[in-house]
Amino acid sequence: MRLTTMGVARNFDRSIVGILATSELPSGQRSDRIRFFSEGEVHESVSGYRALLCHDGLKVDFAVPYVHRLRDSDHLRDGDIVVLEGSTGLVRSLYRPYELHHHLFVTERCNSNCLMCSQPPKDRDDVEALTQRNLELIDLIKTPPPYLTITGGEPTLLGDNLFNLISRLKFSMPETEVHVLTNGRAFAWPEYAKHFAETKHPKISLGIPLYSDYAGLHDYVVQAKGAFDQTVSGMHQAARNGIRVEVRVVLHKLTLPRLTEIVEYIYRNLTFVEHVALMGLEYTGYTPRNIQELWIDPFDYQDNLEQAVEFLAIRNMTVSIYNHQLCVLKPSLWSYARKSISDWKTLYLETCERCTERPNCGGFFQWAIKKHSDHIHVL
Amino acid sequence: MDANSRAAAPIEVEISLSIISAEALLKTCYWFSRDYVCEIRNRDENVADVFLTSRDSSSGSDPSSIKDSFITAAMDFALREKIEAKTSGIRDLLLAKAFSEAGVLEDQPEGIFGDKIEEANPEGMFKILNNRYR
Amino acid sequence: MARVFYPLQHFDPTPTQFQLLPFRFMRFEEKELLVNEAGEFLFTPSGTVRNLVDGSLETNSVLYRDLKAKHLVYDDTSSALLDVLATKVRTKFDHITGGTKLHIFVVTLRCDHSCHYCQVSRQSASRAQFDMSTSTADRAIAMMMDSPAQDVTLEIQGGEPLLAFEMIQYIVTKAKPLALEKGKNLDIVVCSNLSHITDDILHYFRDEGIKVSTSLDGPAFLHNKNRPRPGNDSYQRAIDGIERCRAVLRMERVAALMTTTAASLDYVTEIVDEYVRRNFHSIFLRPISPYGFAVKTHRKIGYEMERFLKFYKDGLKHILDINRGGYRIAEVYTQILLTKILTPHSTRYVDMQSPAGEAWNVLVYNYDGDVYASDESRMLAEMNDRTFRLGNVHSDTRRSLFTSDAALRMFHAACNQALVGCSDCAFQSYCAADPIYHHATQGDMYGNRPTSGFCMRNMSVLKHLFSIIEQNDRDTMRVLWSWITGTTAHGPATECA
Repeated sequence: MRLTTMGVARNFDRSIVGILATSELPSGQRSDRIRFFSEGEVHESVSGYRALLCHDGLKVDFAVPYVHRLRDSDHLRDGDIVVLEGSTGLVRSLYRPYELHHHLFVTERCNSNCLMCSQPPKDRDDVEALTQRNLELIDLIKTPPPYLTITGGEPTLLGDNLFNLISRLKFSMPETEVHVLTNGRAFAWPEYAKHFAETKHPKISLGIPLYSDYAGLHDYVVQAKGAFDQTVSGMHQAARNGIRVEVRVVLHKLTLPRLTEIVEYIYRNLTFVEHVALMGLEYTGYTPRNIQELWIDPFDYQDNLEQAVEFLAIRNMTVSIYNHQLCVLKPSLWSYARKSISDWKTLYLETCERCTERPNCGGFFQWAIKKHSDHIHVL
Repeated sequence: MDANSRAAAPIEVEISLSIISAEALLKTCYWFSRDYVCEIRNRDENVADVFLTSRDSSSGSDPSSIKDSFITAAMDFALREKIEAKTSGIRDLLLAKAFSEAGVLEDQPEGIFGDKIEEANPEGMFKILNNRYR
Repeated sequence: MARVFYPLQHFDPTPTQFQLLPFRFMRFEEKELLVNEAGEFLFTPSGTVRNLVDGSLETNSVLYRDLKAKHLVYDDTSSALLDVLATKVRTKFDHITGGTKLHIFVVTLRCDHSCHYCQVSRQSASRAQFDMSTSTADRAIAMMMDSPAQDVTLEIQGGEPLLAFEMIQYIVTKAKPLALEKGKNLDIVVCSNLSHITDDILHYFRDEGIKVSTSLDGPAFLHNKNRPRPGNDSYQRAIDGIERCRAVLRMERVAALMTTTAASLDYVTEIVDEYVRRNFHSIFLRPISPYGFAVKTHRKIGYEMERFLKFYKDGLKHILDINRGGYRIAEVYTQILLTKILTPHSTRYVDMQSPAGEAWNVLVYNYDGDVYASDESRMLAEMNDRTFRLGNVHSDTRRSLFTSDAALRMFHAACNQALVGCSDCAFQSYCAADPIYHHATQGDMYGNRPTSGFCMRNMSVLKHLFSIIEQNDRDTMRVLWSWITGTTAHGPATECA
């Protein structure tokens, strides 16, 4: 399902965040809504909305902000929270209440540059604008979701802005479990870890990647010198301040040879982690460029994977496998496989039509069309 | 000469004191003292002779394998001395860190931070944090 | 501006030299076993230690990376992460934080059994002068609650404590509200041979949440042989007692401990099978303690370390087979040692700690108010050796107990890090110090390592376990890990009458 579409923006030049309304609302309920008119719908009673959105070209020059000549709307539903960009006419969906997985995207900046990054970083300071947008977004969420992931880029680069976002979440939706995907490096500075903990969010955890049990290889994968040391120290400082930590390992040709050693390192040095996530490679972002170094067919690393999972399981550590299809996993590993792909990203191949395990299988990312295991088969 | 007195003849081991220190030698004898009476005689300042007399006259173990075990054990103690010489300083530091209050004896983060925008910013968060530590 | 990717050598240059982190080693079969300061180990090819010491080890190798990951070496291409290592060391010494956790109350010396190895005087059941008085109990309870530990275990022993049931009630009634007031979690265990158990006593235990620990030495012929009693029915009484306890209390609140005697040494399979038959899920293959009547009636008990080791190894093999067959039963001694070897944690078992758990983690309050550093030291006092008597509840405070001559002398010999033989030993992190054992068996708290039964036993058992670890048989390791993670941490298996 698409996330963005384009139109032509009028009467505003910054961003407008609002909830889509596909039918008319009483005037008292319009102030946080963006009124969407489907093709051919009459454009009347438009005052009081934050903005208007429509496919048709609006001839009358309404005084309200609007985006017209919208290209696509098959992905839009009533209640979706979207942002309209005045400078470009871009319409981006930020939040879909009917989905299970939700993300708060906070920056494109990152101080690492992982070989397989799915969101290649940009050195452009977008923090102020995105923070503003996200604060508005949080205020517009009517029904707090059970989980929310803060992602980027590298969220810790927001500095105090991140703490503001977390505090706003704590205030608006204290029951929502917040997961922050971060490289954890900033936490190596004890002051930072302390400040983070001072937000005192009751349900927050960090998801931090680790790609080796020794610095040289981890630093190479993340393309940052000193990253391993900072990440490991950072996890320690986080744990000391009572911040819950989860470790993620992306499975590819560079991480798989020492996968058992990595999990042993986690067990002895990062004993406090509450979960280990072993993730399949995503064929997007930087990955296609570096595919020669990274690609190994999941079918071919099942023994390594089983050994590592067993290592953790017998030690009572919680472990999950993400982004793998059931037909390439050993059956002994099925109970660890999670349906982890965000709803809007999930796809199945033609081969999958007749598969009996399809309801239990997490499926593929859309880019799997271009790159997936040679062993996908019906179960 | 009967079998018993032959079995009780001491096993001789020649030890070079430039390789095995007196301390390493004593430690080796300490462990062998359960099964052997150990007598050390300094031949000169570079060589010592060790005489191992079995406490159990009926044991009948092969003298050359006992000699090998003794020398291997002595070499291992010599290695341990070298390890201790190289690591005692860092071990003291390690134990001091382990038993001190959190944060008191800890190292500051090393390495670069790695974000161009933050590093260029004079009021950047990490600059401020770093300055506090100076 | 697009970012550049740098090659591996930029981040992972081959180090030209390296530094050593502290470690101990031993030759193990055809390999070398290296152990770091936090008790993490690595098997390496023979010759590795020499190459480490003379700096000739090839740094562009898997071995070098393994050594680095296990905190055995470091170099200037990355941080040694000393603070992480220090945290691991601190975790391994967790057992010394918090103050004394196990408090043993000897409520009476009276007993109706005449066990050969019993370290308590044999007294007929009618002499009330060997019971703890209420004033002594009051003082001992106050002393116990003075300990900073948040989780405190009150273990009631004797003689046979059920012969002084009113005193048990008195102590429980006094201790519980005081624990609540001080915000402590109080666990109560009564060690009894169960021959005097009644329904009233059982209901009391159930209502107060008290656990029971009893003795089961093996099948009838063995148990009765070890524990003579008028009527020669100790086994039947024990079994009946166990079933009665289980009927009223929950299964997991009834534990059994075995005592190994010379007679037991040939029957490990039968003993284990008895435990399985009686539905127990843990068994502790302990060596016989060398104290008290054991020393007096040495000829009768006649214990050789070699025979114990065969007993232990055969027993462990049989237990592992039983586990693989689907019945879960853990061997406690193995579980304790494996916790020290394979996990980042320390053990709560006071007899296998360094600094030794005596006094630090266990105190024994005798019926007369005398306070001892351990159950064994009380038994020594029964034979007129008061070396480890720390003081008396009526005349001492916690401070004066811990700064008494007896305590200070003992503490001096209580760290295996500083003992001859132990200071170089690769097993130091997994073993312990036991000044009381060495005083009792060798007349010297510091001990002579090569002739020490404590050393011989632990060294052999540890070697045996490392052999199993090295073989890394999948099913065996699964069973062993189920013991490490599944069983809850618990205090010492002290001798129960």
